[in-house]
Amino acid sequence: MTDATSSQVPAATPAPARSSLLTQSALMKKRNAAEARFKAYGLAAICISLSVLAIMLWTIFSDGVSAFKQASLTFPVTLDAETLDPKGNRDRAEMMRVTTIGYTKLLNAQLLAHLEERGISTEGVSDKDVAAFISRDTPARLRDMVLEQPALLGQTIEVSGFATGRIDGYIKGRVTRDTAERDTNISVAQLDLADRMKDEGILASTFNWGFLTNPDASDQRPEAAGLGVALIGSAYMMALVVVMVLPLGVAASIYLEEFAPRNRWTDLIEVNISNLAAVPSIVYGILGLAIFINFAKFPQSSPLVGALVLTLMTLPTIIIATRAAIRAVPPSIRDAALGVGASKMQTVFHHVLPLAAPGILTGTILGLASALGETAPLLLIGMVAFVANYPAGPLDGGVLDPATALPVQVYSWASRSDPAFIERSAGAIIVLLAFLVTMNIIAIILRRKFERRW
Amino acid sequence: MYDAPNLETRVTQTNTKITARGVQVFYGEKQALQDVNVDILDNTVTAFIGPSGCGKSTFLRCLNRMNDTISSARVEGEILLDGENIYDKRVDPVQLRAKVGMVFQKPNPFPKSIYDNVAYGPKIHGLTRSKAELDQIVEESLRKAALWNEVKDRLGEAGTGLSGGQQQRLCIARAVATAPEVLLMDEPCSALDPIATAQVEELIDELRASFSVVIVTHSMQQAARVSQKTAFFHLGHLVEYGDTSHIFTNPSDPRTESYITGRIG
Repeated sequence: MTDATSSQVPAATPAPARSSLLTQSALMKKRNAAEARFKAYGLAAICISLSVLAIMLWTIFSDGVSAFKQASLTFPVTLDAETLDPKGNRDRAEMMRVTTIGYTKLLNAQLLAHLEERGISTEGVSDKDVAAFISRDTPARLRDMVLEQPALLGQTIEVSGFATGRIDGYIKGRVTRDTAERDTNISVAQLDLADRMKDEGILASTFNWGFLTNPDASDQRPEAAGLGVALIGSAYMMALVVVMVLPLGVAASIYLEEFAPRNRWTDLIEVNISNLAAVPSIVYGILGLAIFINFAKFPQSSPLVGALVLTLMTLPTIIIATRAAIRAVPPSIRDAALGVGASKMQTVFHHVLPLAAPGILTGTILGLASALGETAPLLLIGMVAFVANYPAGPLDGGVLDPATALPVQVYSWASRSDPAFIERSAGAIIVLLAFLVTMNIIAIILRRKFERRW
Repeated sequence: MYDAPNLETRVTQTNTKITARGVQVFYGEKQALQDVNVDILDNTVTAFIGPSGCGKSTFLRCLNRMNDTISSARVEGEILLDGENIYDKRVDPVQLRAKVGMVFQKPNPFPKSIYDNVAYGPKIHGLTRSKAELDQIVEESLRKAALWNEVKDRLGEAGTGLSGGQQQRLCIARAVATAPEVLLMDEPCSALDPIATAQVEELIDELRASFSVVIVTHSMQQAARVSQKTAFFHLGHLVEYGDTSHIFTNPSDPRTESYITGRIG
């Protein structure tokens, strides 16, 4: 109204001169500049995060991809019955008396003999240094094989075993002649010999399934170390966490969101759940140690205890995600169901839950993904231990056997001195990332599949 | 605009279906409804009119105890459905809502198929023993809601894929399917265009044959067109209740007259 009056009385307030649409006013220029600046900030932020991500992935992959390949030595070995079974009766107990040292000597001698036979010069390399090519893992495996099949005794078989970490490193380019000069564990002459053996096909680098299946190995034989136990441990824990956290989390959320009266107690519970989601994960480890191991006397280092701790840790996250998903279901759907005479429970289970399902599933999978990558609480309940034996099957109480987990394996390998373990540590991160990416993709697919519009 | 000279607006019924005596509703400390006494007749369309916030929707939601879902709401007084107090401790509101169906302001079909939308009520109340019976109920309900011919070939499609007017008729079919005795409608046409409104209004008149219909509306024209009885609410009071023709032509309370002539509200 005031505008109308002022235009009718131009004498009181002179109307501003009409500006052309073709020229920008000063204010407009300022507004546009501010917008352009904001866009530039946003773009810069995205570029920085993307490049950091790219650098991170590049470092991990350039360090870790080589962990999936492994140099191995292949040469014929005559299994001398005299040395391996001195009594000659093929009795397992008797044959057990020949230790891996006996097999090591046999393998060393056979390798030297084979090199000589093929005319490969071992000039400048002592017999002991040639023997150092063979991983300590190989005699142990050969011994197991012979004990398993005594009929092999006396035969000549083709043995393929890991080469030691530094020879492997040389093939992969981690060990060079420069570093070898400063390294007391390897000499340049050995590297020359490795080149000759590679040319002759005795030494070759192949895809290493053992990295995914073998248990952890000691500092003396990094080439034999694998993720087998960690993968089983992580799989057991994730399965247990899903089984425990999903019913608990969903039931708690439904109750709080749909049934609980709004009063001081539910407010208190809500605040506490939000706070629990922010508690540092290592605190859950201390809790798990105190309750599950010291009080309830569950076995240390077991996936069961790990899963219980991770369940406690994930529960608040999942409750928060589930409640958000339930709250996002429009109230008109609840009214509609109640209006046709559905009970509260029918309303929730027939209408609210199906609509909230994609949100619940995504929240759960993301919660599980964070649990999969969790290290700190597992350190406290002893899952960082060196575990050389596979846990039993899930039905044979395997969840009570000592095991370790993927992120913990990354941590423990990264803290060892041999560079071969650093490579494996990066390799384990790749495996872990592959799992996380898979879980996230599943979350996206489930969301797409179940998402409905109303 | 839709004009409906053919709709019946005379009161032909005398059986009381719902009797409200001294109904007071509080939301927390605030009193939303004061001392409402009303007799709603069977097989009659009763319209509740009044300005926004006058308590007409609140009273409607008392009739099937939907106010129970609001934790701060408190209802006093008594509401009798066929002589039984629906606020009696022994009454299960879930059972009550099967008898007193409701259609909401915004069409709110379930995100399920058209068939499942209608079949849901009969299913949970165990009204049918076989698939054939259920099919029959679905067809009858959709026919009553004047939707059958439009959807009979695509019962498996999502109810949410229909147009607004069709969705609202689907909601009516869903409410009708549980064989209620009273049908409550909370501004059922406010989200619809004039053509869909006309269809729903025609439908309401047809539904009168089977149920007592109570409709809350902001449109006085609509109240005049579809109802036989009208109640005017103002500031939480039931100001006037009587025959629609009487209320719109010769209101006894000055406030009613002011509202109808557009001076308040």
